[in-house]
Amino acid sequence: MYTKTQKFIQQSFIIILMVLLLSPEVNAQGIDFLRSTGKIYSVVAVIVILFSGIFYFLYRIDNKLTKLENHIKNE
Amino acid sequence: MNRIKEIFLKELRVEFRQKYTLGGIFLFSATVVFLIYKVFNTVTELEWSILLWIITMFSALNAIVKSFSQEKKGTYLYYYSLFDPIELIIGKLIYNTLFIFLLFAAILLFMSLFLGFPVKDTELFFGASFLGIFGLSTILTFISLISTSDQTGSTLMSVLSIPLILPIMLLLLKTTAVSLRLITDTSIDQDVLLLAAIDAIMLGTVIILFPSLWRS
Amino acid sequence: MLKGWWWKFGGAFIFLYVLIGGMTIPLRPGITSVQPSNAKTGENILLDITGYNTHFDQAKNIRAWLKLDSTHAINALKTNAEGPNHLQMEFQIPETAPDGNEVYPLHLIIDNEIDGAFILPNAVFVSRSTDSLMFNPNEWTNGKMDKFHNYTGIQFPYRNILNETIRNTFFHVALWFAMFILLLYGVYYSIRYLRSGNFDNDRLASSYTIVAILYGSLGILTGSVWAKFTWNTFWTNDVKLNMTAIALLIYFAYLILRGIQYDQDKRARLAAIYNIFAFIALIPLVFVIPRLQDSLHPGNGGNPALGGEDLDNTLRMFFYPSIIALFLIGKWMAEILTRYERLKDQYFIKSK
Repeated sequence: MYTKTQKFIQQSFIIILMVLLLSPEVNAQGIDFLRSTGKIYSVVAVIVILFSGIFYFLYRIDNKLTKLENHIKNE
Repeated sequence: MNRIKEIFLKELRVEFRQKYTLGGIFLFSATVVFLIYKVFNTVTELEWSILLWIITMFSALNAIVKSFSQEKKGTYLYYYSLFDPIELIIGKLIYNTLFIFLLFAAILLFMSLFLGFPVKDTELFFGASFLGIFGLSTILTFISLISTSDQTGSTLMSVLSIPLILPIMLLLLKTTAVSLRLITDTSIDQDVLLLAAIDAIMLGTVIILFPSLWRS
Repeated sequence: MLKGWWWKFGGAFIFLYVLIGGMTIPLRPGITSVQPSNAKTGENILLDITGYNTHFDQAKNIRAWLKLDSTHAINALKTNAEGPNHLQMEFQIPETAPDGNEVYPLHLIIDNEIDGAFILPNAVFVSRSTDSLMFNPNEWTNGKMDKFHNYTGIQFPYRNILNETIRNTFFHVALWFAMFILLLYGVYYSIRYLRSGNFDNDRLASSYTIVAILYGSLGILTGSVWAKFTWNTFWTNDVKLNMTAIALLIYFAYLILRGIQYDQDKRARLAAIYNIFAFIALIPLVFVIPRLQDSLHPGNGGNPALGGEDLDNTLRMFFYPSIIALFLIGKWMAEILTRYERLKDQYFIKSK
């Protein structure tokens, strides 16, 4: 079963991952990179956001189900 | 029709029996206007219109929060056996609309006392204001019933209702700006029409949804 | 209607199709920039043209015109390809022009047998020199525009500021449409709940709404990334943006309402009623009010609407499937969430 600390570490890991993924847009150099070749990398950024959103949702449900399973097991 | 009048009169009686809440709300608006007068000294016309609606919105929120929560559970059961839900909500709506309009008039009076009255197109101003206030009271009355809860009180009410009344507020700000001649818009009739349309939609929804809410 | 497992597979498959097709199909050739962008009447100018996805060096027969209107155009005197995307050409701007404006724009049209014909509107602005001469139509007749080449094959349209980001239509715009379908489903199940009192409908309604909120948040995020590359800002004071932000606030309030510990029956009833009310309040919010003010988005303030030139047939081939795919994936996610909630409720009722 997940402890609170474990959960916190997992969630902060995800947040750091998101920040790393999004950081190229924040600094100016990254923006130039994303603008290159007809701004195609901004499309890539959009797809990455879309997928990480769906991934995040799946991850949450997975976590919730694990908790429920543990509840049932402990009965 | 008679029953709607009954509910309306009953609300009026309840309100006047508790003079302190009634006086409190009016005093609240007067204090806020005076505070703004002391802080700003002079306001531009744009600030005037924004302040007018912000004060009205929060006063209305304060006033309607207690629309359903002031009565005890037993009274509800009594109403439930006595009135048709649609009659009840229409009576409440008429009462709340008039009450907020009175409140708005009081705020307007205080504002014009301290900060002047820059409205140029009074017809548009009052017409749009009335439509907007009707919409406000419809949404607020309905949400106040949803958020009647022992634990949360008025926080839930403002969280639920402020996003919903935002479109009306934005339209009101625009029509007020036009009536102050801050901006010119030849198609302002469209905005007024839109306000009326929002009112109609909201009223219809409330009438359809209220009976199932009332049962709980 | 959607029974069994095939629609899940279908959703994933369609999304794969959109992803592959939407990312690999090239853009139509276009003109990125023209230097210099202004000239005087009677001047002989040398235009430096930068193209996108063009094949100037391979093309044998490059023709170019500066067009004023449907009857008046001038031909390029000399063209010189310096690379696949680079072209120099010489134009002789006529001394006179038909209409009375001080400054008039010319549209640049380039045609060759590989890329077909393409246009840059308002490429060169010509300012009239002070001594006005009588209009001489002969100066404008040497450019005869005919026998355009057509590119065969599937390509996305080229838009000057959008460039490759036009592909975001499939991912950002489709996300909003899918969100609305999911919200509609949520409202449908809310109504079903109010009529039947079956908690399963309440679970479905809340799951659909939660997935729709996820899509809405992703829509705001992706939209602000897209905006950064086209309008150069993460957040503009655009009405459509602010309205969608308010819409999201309404639905976050819905989540708060669901989080309050009422008994199950009351919570479900209140949530269902608020959901219906919020959706109806959303209709004037998202669709009507943005039309009253100018917006950067298509369909507002003179910008072309969807369905016009902006969404041409090649884009439609991927845009509509993308909506369907995102909706099906959302439906899948919502059903998984519903099954989880159902299981949880069953378990906790049993253990009590």
